Amino acid sequence: MSDIVLKVESLSKNYQMGEVVVKALENVSFEAYKGEFIVILGPSGSGKSTLLNIMGGMDTPSNGQVYFNGELITAMSDKELTMYRRNKIGFVFQFYNLMSTLTARENVELASEICSDPIDIDDVLNSVGLLERTDHFPSQMSGGEQQRVAIARAVAKNPEILLCDEPTGALDFETGISILRVLKEVNKKYKDTVIVITHNAAISQMADKVIKMRSGKIIEIIKNKNPIAPERIEW
Amino acid sequence: MKKLDKRLLRMIKITKGQYIAVVLIIVTGIFIFTAVKNSALNLRDTVNDYYDSANFGDIFVSAVSLPEKIEKELIGVQNISGSEARLVLDVPLILDKENENVNVRVVSIDKSENKINKLFINEGKRNISEKNIIVIKQFADARKIKLHDEIKLKINGRQHTFNVTGIASSPEYVYIMENEQTLMPDPENFGVVYVEENYLRQISGTNGNFNEIVVKLNSENDIDKTSDFLKDNLDKYGIKRVVKKDEQLSFGMVDQEVEGLEKMSQSVPIIFLTFAGIMLANMLSRIVKKDRTSIGVLKALGFTNYEIIVHYLKYASTIGIIGGIIGSLIGTALSSMMTSVYLQYFNIPMLSIKFYFSRILAAILLSLLLCMAAGLFGIRGILKINPAESMQAEAPKQGKRIFLESIKFIWNKLSFSWKMVLRNIFREKKKFLLIAAAVSITCSMLIMTFWMNDIIDVMFNKHYTEFMKMQYNVGFTSFLDENTKNEFSEILNVNDIEGRVELPFEIVNGSKSKIVTVIGLEKNTVFYDVNVADEGIILSSNLADYLNVRIGDKILLKNFMPDKDDGYVIVKEIINQSLGINGYMNIDYMNKLFLDKDIINGVYINSLDDVSKILDNVDNISSIQSQSDMKGMFEQFTGMIAISIGSMIIFSGLLGFVIVYSMTLMSINERALEFSALRVMGFTTKEIFYMLIKENSIMSFIGIVLGIPLGKILIDYMGKMFSTDIYTMKEPLTAPEVIWAIIFTIAFLILAQLITYVKIYKLDFMQSLKSRIS
Repeated sequence: MSDIVLKVESLSKNYQMGEVVVKALENVSFEAYKGEFIVILGPSGSGKSTLLNIMGGMDTPSNGQVYFNGELITAMSDKELTMYRRNKIGFVFQFYNLMSTLTARENVELASEICSDPIDIDDVLNSVGLLERTDHFPSQMSGGEQQRVAIARAVAKNPEILLCDEPTGALDFETGISILRVLKEVNKKYKDTVIVITHNAAISQMADKVIKMRSGKIIEIIKNKNPIAPERIEW
Repeated sequence: MKKLDKRLLRMIKITKGQYIAVVLIIVTGIFIFTAVKNSALNLRDTVNDYYDSANFGDIFVSAVSLPEKIEKELIGVQNISGSEARLVLDVPLILDKENENVNVRVVSIDKSENKINKLFINEGKRNISEKNIIVIKQFADARKIKLHDEIKLKINGRQHTFNVTGIASSPEYVYIMENEQTLMPDPENFGVVYVEENYLRQISGTNGNFNEIVVKLNSENDIDKTSDFLKDNLDKYGIKRVVKKDEQLSFGMVDQEVEGLEKMSQSVPIIFLTFAGIMLANMLSRIVKKDRTSIGVLKALGFTNYEIIVHYLKYASTIGIIGGIIGSLIGTALSSMMTSVYLQYFNIPMLSIKFYFSRILAAILLSLLLCMAAGLFGIRGILKINPAESMQAEAPKQGKRIFLESIKFIWNKLSFSWKMVLRNIFREKKKFLLIAAAVSITCSMLIMTFWMNDIIDVMFNKHYTEFMKMQYNVGFTSFLDENTKNEFSEILNVNDIEGRVELPFEIVNGSKSKIVTVIGLEKNTVFYDVNVADEGIILSSNLADYLNVRIGDKILLKNFMPDKDDGYVIVKEIINQSLGINGYMNIDYMNKLFLDKDIINGVYINSLDDVSKILDNVDNISSIQSQSDMKGMFEQFTGMIAISIGSMIIFSGLLGFVIVYSMTLMSINERALEFSALRVMGFTTKEIFYMLIKENSIMSFIGIVLGIPLGKILIDYMGKMFSTDIYTMKEPLTAPEVIWAIIFTIAFLILAQLITYVKIYKLDFMQSLKSRIS
């Protein structure tokens, strides 16, 4: 685990709200290694979503740099950022955000169609445990199933980093755990770096690295020597 | 198939109601456009081809007597490339039935072929010898004259019998009318026949001389110069008229008809296409708004703005292509029908309906471009969507107070649902303005339709009963003494009789000139609704407009009578005349200036007798026109109008129907959550439906109110666009027309509303409340 995939350096993000400047991120720095499972932990409003969006090339910082494999993504044009998202990043959202008019398989294909080096769809669907329900539309699936499709959609692009924004936030405990298991498996199988942001401290037990945030700042970075299996997590 | 394209197809399926609605409007716009445009183009092409192949003359000169040598003398002079002298006589047709009075125009032709104004032989042969006659097709059809029939004509006082050896069409009589005064073709009572030249010269009593010469030019550029040259140089032969090609009666009528079609192809479809464009833009901007999260997800997945824009633009393009194809195909098919309808009024033997692939392609392209442009406008919001922000629920719409709320004494009296209705309207101004605009266009188009339906009637009735009050207009073969009119009183039971002069003049004002019939009337005439002063001239408004003259202006009247002077007269009055284009003068003043004292060339008669029958055998009478004949002709004419009025009603209704339907549908889709919440609270589907109806009714009411002045504007515009030498559409709008238009508008709107009720009834409110995916 020596290759740095993502390097975040003195990152700040300010929002101008009328006359007040809101500091969403303040001087944030850390590194993510290849194949690492990172949990960014913090209460709502701590700036973790802003951080995720900047790392994913969906937002730009006010100050600081983000390097992806040594390349400065914070200096990229819109077009370059789109290509970065297309080929290097996989997103998993809290509310799944699937295309309601496409079936599970089609949702995954939608993503794999546009990238340069996709993974075999059946393989991915199998990995997330959904091979039997691929012809169902999102409205015919449970929340957990939809989130598996969302993960499959992100993974199928064969990204180097999987960015997950509260992936279990809308799910019950059991389903949440199963989703975490899927993320862990994907992490192991495809060697993707997985970054999960959550306010649920229990999840940090499965991470290789835990980044704790509060009020836009990193308050602690913990290296977890013995991450536990997701099924052993309790909350 | 790419997954985004699959999504597109399913999106179309889900929004099929609105999709079909927009397609329908595009289809209507494109189909009217292609139908009318193609008919106009087809007609223009065929007419031009016909004139070319028949070598239609450029200038027509009529004179008292022209020697044969003139034909050769003119060639090579003043740009003239060819000339043909001929004899043209209006003579009575001798019929078995006595009460009919039919005139035919006998025209001399060469034995085998003419160089100018070649005849197109429909039946029989072109070669002609003595006692043979070729009959023009319209007349032959109307009177059921067949090959080898016998025709008897009274030429120079003697009866001559001819054998019909050919039935032909002539470029000179595509539109067959006796003169400018007849207003409409009446092939049963006026025809043209062709007789061999030398034979006609023998029997006509004209000493072998001709009375007309047709001239062909090298190029039409200097037609005015040549025309002036002919007027000056042939004056010694007693020039009556020099008519340039575009003033020639049939040519001018055909030209005006085709021009009217061309104008229509540029106006009506634009209304539909504009609305289709606005609707499509509106629809897509709403779809994009609704798809905000999906678009954000696509962006997060790495789709470029370009790819996403293309995705939504495909939605618009499919509408453009489908609408374009269906519209242009229906239009093309219908244009053949329309062109054949014109066939009944025009006699063009070679009229062929061509299938122009390029025009269909052009129509599809037009439709596609329109939809793409509207689409782009509608989806421009895609660029503004930030993927990170789009994942979060959109901030709820600001529940601003509307201005009406500050008027407490009204607001406090409103029921809860009315308050909601009013707030909705004020918060979604764009949508409701579009509904109001569509309703007002529908209403105004219906007003125009009902007005046009009435106006034709009014125009004819007004002209033939209020403006012209004579039951019979009897024309003489030449000028006679004024006292001749007393002879009529002896053979007829006459209620009123007045002598008249009807004579063509070229009226000139500066660079503008027009040949029209000037009518000389007795002072205080009972036959026309005009009061001729002792001096000066009265002009119909269309003539005054054309010549750009006002009351008090001095205009030049050029006399076509040989050895008579031209003269200036002052415009005393300008009158509205719904049919025809004329000048009116006091008969004594007219005679003094341009003719001789106390002469007339016809009489107006009011009599209960069958004047046509009684005057049948009287000498020196060239024509008898009766009021009832004119009205009968009009009845036939209205059949065609009824069809176009009917289709206008359907088109206008369609526009209002489709827009109200699709806007309500969009509203239901977007407000599914709101309606579901209301349903959960215990509102019935009916109550929700009434709420929607209330919203639409307010806007429809505004639309209808605005539609009335808009209709007035449309009418004025139509009046200007379609007024020709023959019709002047200046009739006022009447209350029943407006009321009918409103009734029809409301009917179309109710229909649209009823259909949307089904949608609300089917609304799955539990599903709507649960859904948080797009």
